[in-house]
Formats: sequence, structure tokens, C-alpha cells
Amino acid sequence: MKTRFQGGRGERGMASVAVIVFAGVAMMVLVANYELNFAATTTGDAFDSFNSQMVEKNGVAQIVKESILALRETAVVNSGNTIDTEIQNRLGSMTFPSDVTLALGSWTAVPANPYYPLGSPLPTAPAAYFSSSPRGLAGMGALLTSLAMQGPVADLGRLTYTFNRSSSTSGDSRTYTIYADLFSMPLTNLDVVAYGLPASGTIPLTAPSVPSGFASGVSTLVVSSNNPANDPTAYPDLYASGTIETLPYQYRNQMSCAWNAYEMVWSANYQDALTSAAGLAGTYDLAAAVHPPVAGLTAAGSAITIDCSQVTSPVVAVIDEAGTGNITILGSPSGGAPFVLVVRNLAAALGQTAVTFSGNNNRPAIYYLENSNVTFAGGPQIQGGLFFDPTTTGTGSVTWFGHFSFYGPASPLATLGIAVNDAPAVKTALADIAPRVLLVSTSSAPLIQ
Amino acid sequence: MKPVSRRRDAGFSLPEAIAGFVIFTIMMGALTYAAAALFKFQSQPSAIYGGQTYALAPSLGSFQQAVSLQTAFAQAVDQADNLIVIGGVRSSPTAANADLPASALATTFADASLSAAISSDPFQAYSSWDQVQLNSLQFSPYFTVNPDPADFTILTVQGQSRITSITQQRRVTATINGLNQVLYQVTSQTIDWSSGSPVLLPNAQTGTTPTYGYAIYYPAAEDSWAQAPGVTHYWYRTDATWDRDQEGPSRVIFADPYVLAGQDPQAPIQSVSRFVYFLPQTR
Repeated sequence: MKTRFQGGRGERGMASVAVIVFAGVAMMVLVANYELNFAATTTGDAFDSFNSQMVEKNGVAQIVKESILALRETAVVNSGNTIDTEIQNRLGSMTFPSDVTLALGSWTAVPANPYYPLGSPLPTAPAAYFSSSPRGLAGMGALLTSLAMQGPVADLGRLTYTFNRSSSTSGDSRTYTIYADLFSMPLTNLDVVAYGLPASGTIPLTAPSVPSGFASGVSTLVVSSNNPANDPTAYPDLYASGTIETLPYQYRNQMSCAWNAYEMVWSANYQDALTSAAGLAGTYDLAAAVHPPVAGLTAAGSAITIDCSQVTSPVVAVIDEAGTGNITILGSPSGGAPFVLVVRNLAAALGQTAVTFSGNNNRPAIYYLENSNVTFAGGPQIQGGLFFDPTTTGTGSVTWFGHFSFYGPASPLATLGIAVNDAPAVKTALADIAPRVLLVSTSSAPLIQ
Repeated sequence: MKPVSRRRDAGFSLPEAIAGFVIFTIMMGALTYAAAALFKFQSQPSAIYGGQTYALAPSLGSFQQAVSLQTAFAQAVDQADNLIVIGGVRSSPTAANADLPASALATTFADASLSAAISSDPFQAYSSWDQVQLNSLQFSPYFTVNPDPADFTILTVQGQSRITSITQQRRVTATINGLNQVLYQVTSQTIDWSSGSPVLLPNAQTGTTPTYGYAIYYPAAEDSWAQAPGVTHYWYRTDATWDRDQEGPSRVIFADPYVLAGQDPQAPIQSVSRFVYFLPQTR
């Protein structure tokens, strides 16, 4: 009995050792598996944090861009706030995780975007993607570069903004560095714009029909509805139906050019500024009792002739309050300093001002034609920028070198035969007297250097 | 009868030791087999196809490689002016067969610049379709034939012409050791232009190109996803009159090495890749 008892203790010992070894190995395997899963989960979570912070950073960059545009966009109304207030206002409307705070760290004041005649425009230079002087555009995103590459632009510089992100999660506190690159683009850099007026008018629901040969190989811009029911060129893929159509942010810069800038161009404020710039030496008011002489302008009653080769004032303004004016514009066979011709028709429904272009014109000029009935006699070739207001109509045929813009919802192209050509020299000539659009690109330092 | 001493009873006899060792070996083998069956990555099986080694998914090693690749890819996208997404469905806004997968570029494509795009109309950066047409002379030797729906090539571009990264995904179905397998290969080549000239960065560990990569395979029956890897293009509009080929963001899905892709086809929730992007063509 004693021997059997002692042998039983030995067997139990052996079994115990085996069980302990087995349990130990099993625990090691389970721990190893746990660690593998933990490593995978941790790596995955880190990647998810990286991705979400990338989105957060780009959202902050968009806040910076919108804040700058709120102050300096070429629009009828700009904010009078400082840039940090604009950023704080937008930042305050964002929601972050409970353990995360995001605060503006440092900021830079936004420079002015002066343009003629409201200010002294900054010098322009042809843009390049890769260049040290002037500063290359590469890296600023195609939404900006696609517009800025259309002609000479003025570089307003790079502004830097930092945002401090604080999180109780280890490693999730960081600083976002946002760069804002600002360029001032003459509106005449775009060859053709069918503009919209979202505040004072409407936007073009669809792009206007164009005659054959209208604008081959030139830059054209129209921002129309993304609703396929309005514009058959639109796809339903990403269209969000609702009571108010919201365009994707991709169109933001184009809206600045094709909508908001034209609200400003055709505002009384800008047109008055042009008329004021014309001064006595450049203004002919049909209703005035006395007409100071205007170089290059002759008048007989309501019939006015403007000889482009004889104009000396930087701005010539014709004021037609009754809609009875009949203006003939004679082209200049030779070049010369660019100038602005403003036809201000304040008659509304009383009548349009008749404007006839006659002869080729090689002297670049910008023509702002309000409520006018424009005729091109003899199919002339003309250099310059042609701005039609929403009520201006056109007939005849013309070969145009430079810029042409018209109200998209009331296209004159059904009656006007116009062939537009890209003309870099004309863009350069007009850059200092054209209205300018502020282009903003925001980028950021990489999250991982 | 002489009593058995305690010292003799405290140890094992040789037969006992041998028997114990055999039993222990059997137990450990069983344990290892069970653990390997439970956690497939313990066994780390791999397959070689076309000279490329593929790890059986889920694979932690491949997952780590994938995270490195995806991080670099996301940063390249973030710093790019525009993307050219080649391959996938609906790449053409108008073609009748737009729902068929388009060709990607061969994995041998390693050009650092797009010569035709240097002075092109910048508005063409608004769609990959325009970019493919514009650069067709350069791309055409590299277009793949019979592309798989999961195949794609993504170029990140600065300034219309400088390629800053080339990211590729390929999916191949093959019979390996008598079993039908689905193989995914994902690579990303970073091109550094900081010196003004292009430099194809090598992989930090291997010293060879591409810069990043992972390769995984699944049994064919398990290659089932809630959203299959590949590219779907979405469009805002196409308007030849006003030169408005405006592409929306593309949905890009990479194969995920740490997903048991349709291991249980009856499961109510199918596998979803962690590496899903909604990539705008322009920034």
C-alpha cells in the first residue's frame, strides 16, 4: 500500500508538470495572439487618427480660405472684421471630439487686393508652375492654377496660419500649419465668361448655346446648375436634390470669377468709380447742358463718335439717361495705351443706347456696355475686353481678340456672330485697368514630415 | 519486501520519460494546430506567383506594410495639384461601355513627367479622362489588356507635368497548388522632385523600388467584399461646347491585408476595406 501510494504521488507530479507546461505554453500562445491583435488594432487606430486629422486639417485650411475671401473677395460686400475674428467665428461653429480643442495660434493680416480704379493695381507677371521668380504655382492646387495660368497675375504673397490642436489622447496633440497663397487675377485673363448674378439676378441654369467657331481653343467659363433637370450636361451621380441647390466646393474659385466678381463689376459702386475716374476730361453726359471737350469724342446731338486713335483719357464715360444715345466707335489701326470706355445707360426700359463698332481696332480697350444695342459693322477685328451687362444685346459679326463676357441667362449669341481668340498681348495690356479677382489656395505642411 | 525509496519514486523512469515526451509532443502539436487554425496568421503561409511572394490574408506583416503605403499615398494626394486616376469603371463620361473596367497602366510605368501636359489647358486637370486623352501617346504602350475591375493606377501630379507618385493595384486569379486563389498586389512609387530632378525613392528596408508595397492572397471563395476593391468614377458633367469635363471624386478601394474577406459568405456583414478614399481629381 505504501509503495503504491508513493508511486501515485510520482504520477501526479508528472501529470502536474505536464499540465503546468501545457498551461504555460497555452498562455504564451494566447498572449502572443493578443499582442498581435493589439498591434494590428493599434496600427489601424493610428492610421484612422492620421486620416481623420488629415480631414480635420483640410477643413481648417478651408476655414482659412473662406475667411480670407470674406475680407477680400472681389464682391459687392466684404467683411470689416479682422482675419482672426473671421477664423474664430468659423472655428467656433465646428464640433470636435470631447477631448479635443483647436485654437488659432498665429495669423497674418490679409493684404489688400487693389484694382483699377478703386486702387493702384499691383504689377502682374506671367504665371509659371515651376519658377523661383516669379513664384511658381505648383503645389497650390489645380483649382487655383487652372485660373491663374490663364494670363499675367499679381502675387499677393503667402500667408501662414497655425492652429494648436490639443487632445488628451497621447500623440494626438499637434500644430496644423496652413499656408494661404493669394493671387490677383485680371478678369480679362479669361477669354469668355458667361456670368451669373446670384444676388441681383440669377445664375445660368445651363450653358448658353454657341455658334460654330465661337471660341475654339480659348478659355471659357460658365458655372451653371448641377441639376440634370436644369442642365442636360450635368450628371446625377453626385447631385444632392433639395430646395436650394448647393454646388460642390470644387466650384468655389470659379464662382468667385463667374458670379461674385460680376456682381461687383455691374454694381453702381464700381460703375460710379469708373465714371468718377473719367472726370470732366473724359465724361460726356448727353443730358448735360454744357459738354466739356473729351479728346477723341465728337458729338452732334445724341450722335456721338469716339475715335479710339484719338482718345487720351484713361477712361471715357458716356452717360445716357434717356436711352437716346447713338455711339459709333471707330477703331484705331495702330496700338496705343489701353483705355476704358464706359457706356452708362440709366434709362432702363426707356431705351437702349445704340453702339456701333466700325473698323478694326488694334488699340486695346475695355468696353463696359450697359443696356446697349451693339452692332458690329463690316465684321471688324478688335482687340480688348468686351463686357455686356445683362440687358445689352448684340448683332452683326466680329472677330474679337481678348476677353468677352455676357450674362449667361440672357445670352446675345443667338444674334451676335462673334469669334473669340486668345490674345496674351491683349491680356497683358489690359491687366492694369481690368477688375481683378482674388484667387486663394490653402495648403498645409504634411502631417508627417 | 524492501520498501521503495522516496528518491527513486520522486523521478521518472526512462519509459515514463519517453512516454511523457511523446504525449507532450502530441499535445503541443495539437495545440499548435488548433491555434494556427484559430489564428491563421500564426502559420503565415505564402504563395509565389510571377516571382512575387504573396502572404495569405489576414497578414499582420502585410498590414504594417499597407499602413506605410497608405500613409505615404494620403500625403502625396494631400500635396498634389491634381490626380490622374486610370482604370476602374465609368472612367469615360460618355462611352457606351463606361461600366466596363478601363485599362490601368502597367506596373512597369515609371515615368516621372507628362510631356504633353506641360503647356496644356489647365482646365483639363478637372478630369482624369481628359488627362488620359491628353497623354495618350505616352500612356498607350502601358495600357493593360483585359483589366480586372480591381486594377487601377493613380498618379499624383504637381503643375500638370510632374508626377510625384505612382500607385498601382492589381488583382489576379490563379491556381496555386491546385487551389484557386485571388492575389492582390499594391505598390506605390514615390518620386522626389525636391532637387529639381526626379528621383525614384527606394524602399527603406530593401533598397529597391517601388518605395512601398504589399501583396496578399485569399482563397477565391473568400474574395468577397461589401465594396469590392477598385475604382468607381463619378461625374459632375461633361460639356464639350464649354470644355467642361468635370469629374467628381473617385471612390478608390485598396485591398486590405488584415481583413478576412468573405471567410464566412453567410455572414450578415461582409468585409470592408479600411483603405477607402473619395478622391477629388483636383485640389
